[in-house]
Amino acid sequence: MSTLRIQGLRVEVAGQEVLTGFDLTMNSGEVHVIMGPNGSGKSTLAHAISGRPGYKVLEGSVTIDGTELLTLEPSERARLGLLLALQQPLEVPGVRPIDLLAAAGVARNGLADAMRGEAIRVELRPEVLDRFVNVDLSGGERKRAEMVQLGVLKPKFAILDEIDSGLDVDALGAVARRLSAATTEWGCGVLAITHFRRLLNEMTPTKIHVVSGGKVVATGGPELADVLERDGYEPFRSPRH
Amino acid sequence: MTSFADAASSYIADQSDTATRQVSWAAFCEMGLPTTTDEVWRYAPLNDLDLDQYNVSTRPLSVTDSEFASQLCARAGLVIRVIDGHCLDSGQSLAGVSVSTSNETESLGGDSFFARYEVDTFALLNGALTPATTVITVDPGVVIERPILVLQITNGKSSFARTQIDVGRGSSVTVVEYFEGGHDALVVPLSEYRVADNAQLQLITYQRLAATAWHVARTTGFLQRDARLRQAVIGLGGHYNRSRNDAEFLGTGAENELRTTFLGSSDQVHDFRTHQFHVAARTQSTLLSKGAVADSSRSVYTGLIEIEKGAKRTNARQTNHNLLLSPLAHADSVPNLEIRENDVMCAHASSVGPLDEMQRWYLESRGVRREDAERLMIQGFFNEMLTALPSDFAELVEADITTVLASLNVVAP
Repeated sequence: MSTLRIQGLRVEVAGQEVLTGFDLTMNSGEVHVIMGPNGSGKSTLAHAISGRPGYKVLEGSVTIDGTELLTLEPSERARLGLLLALQQPLEVPGVRPIDLLAAAGVARNGLADAMRGEAIRVELRPEVLDRFVNVDLSGGERKRAEMVQLGVLKPKFAILDEIDSGLDVDALGAVARRLSAATTEWGCGVLAITHFRRLLNEMTPTKIHVVSGGKVVATGGPELADVLERDGYEPFRSPRH
Repeated sequence: MTSFADAASSYIADQSDTATRQVSWAAFCEMGLPTTTDEVWRYAPLNDLDLDQYNVSTRPLSVTDSEFASQLCARAGLVIRVIDGHCLDSGQSLAGVSVSTSNETESLGGDSFFARYEVDTFALLNGALTPATTVITVDPGVVIERPILVLQITNGKSSFARTQIDVGRGSSVTVVEYFEGGHDALVVPLSEYRVADNAQLQLITYQRLAATAWHVARTTGFLQRDARLRQAVIGLGGHYNRSRNDAEFLGTGAENELRTTFLGSSDQVHDFRTHQFHVAARTQSTLLSKGAVADSSRSVYTGLIEIEKGAKRTNARQTNHNLLLSPLAHADSVPNLEIRENDVMCAHASSVGPLDEMQRWYLESRGVRREDAERLMIQGFFNEMLTALPSDFAELVEADITTVLASLNVVAP
């Protein structure tokens, strides 16, 4: 059992404080969903945790099983068990997915077969993985390709930034099924960021967190999604700092 | 006279075509070596160039293939060995392809070698001192499945190889040129490629000369109607690595895709020049130059797209991206356009800077350590060049480049 703990996280982007004291704790095998209006800081959370350039941490702590991540290089954070799936996975010309995964520390032996198996699970044509990372892939293929990385890297915690945006129903279903399976296969904790409810039709969350003004303003069970559906985000809005 | 001039004169006197060679030699002597006041030689370390350090290779020094060369050979349909500029008779043959040596003075461009290259001092030197032209002819209407490998090995102190590849109508062939050796040597290859109507030539030049070699290469593609030349030039070796790659679009619908890439380390200078000359209508050139400079190395890219009056609906693009891997490294990019026709599409773009920070972060966020991410990205340049090669060839070259990159010192700016 592992624990991801985010405490009092304050993050500045381009001179603006976007996260203003974010708290969240989750355990292996759980599915947490972060919902909130545009600009509430959801994506900033994902990027700051994974060390994206330009995201300045002002204060706070993010740990996996007590080890502080924020002082580590992005690659070390990943190696401790964190994986960020991006809203728009980047193209890296000339670099093949298999070489990326090998460089990330996965043994080459059996890697190609593992990737093929993972591709089939998310209904991605395995040949697509012979192309350079995300180059000439459609939006849906990119997200499925990120699930292949997830299946091979087996992170303790996966953070999915707007995983459902730009995905059709079939692709969303395939991605959500893979994530659900990961929660039981190796106890992957899933932190999904979305502002659509439709992901919840595919996965049952352990908890839903409503984010506003850069912090969690409400936490509840799956029933919270129904409240959001009925009342919108307005009742949860907190005054900005 | 200097020792090099003595050696050259006596070599020329011993050849059957002395008179023609003397014309080139005399023109070379008159022109002399370039100086850095000449704009096109501005970046060359000409102070380090002293012809008396070299000699003229009167006969090929015996050679056993290096391990890497043997591996390349195992994957080729036909191997042609050119040692110190001398083409050896391999006894091999391949249906649809003939290989010969020739003292003909005619360029594949139709005029004489001398007329074509009389203002290029190193081409004149090549004309005077080349043992003979290696001529590779592909019959019309054939598809050559396995690549032809030309091993260009320099064991002596100089090599003036001259090569003509003549691809017949409707044919298709892949040629890999591999340069090796060249310790303290002057390597001056001159190559011409003629691609006839509807023919396709895929050409990969992999230059892995010693770090002490002076390499001054020039290639020209002559493209006829609907011909397609896809050329990749990869330069790793040489103290000075100059590669001029030109194309002339002589027939309508001809296409050229040229990709050049290099990796500079220590105090190397990589000097890439291109000239895409569009004469016929509806021709297309796509040029991509990508390179990385580390340590105190430097690079120059100068590309000219020239579009003749009447070359309507020409589409020409050139892109040049340079990576700086050390604060002491330097890259220059000079794209030029000369357009005498209105109905054309023409574009150029260039950049000089460090590795893309976001791409690097993306790799790092998967668990790839920064250093490894940078190497993967640089290797990616070369991998892009190799995509058209048969995979067994590409894997071999890729692995070789990986070895080179492993010793590269990358300093993130």
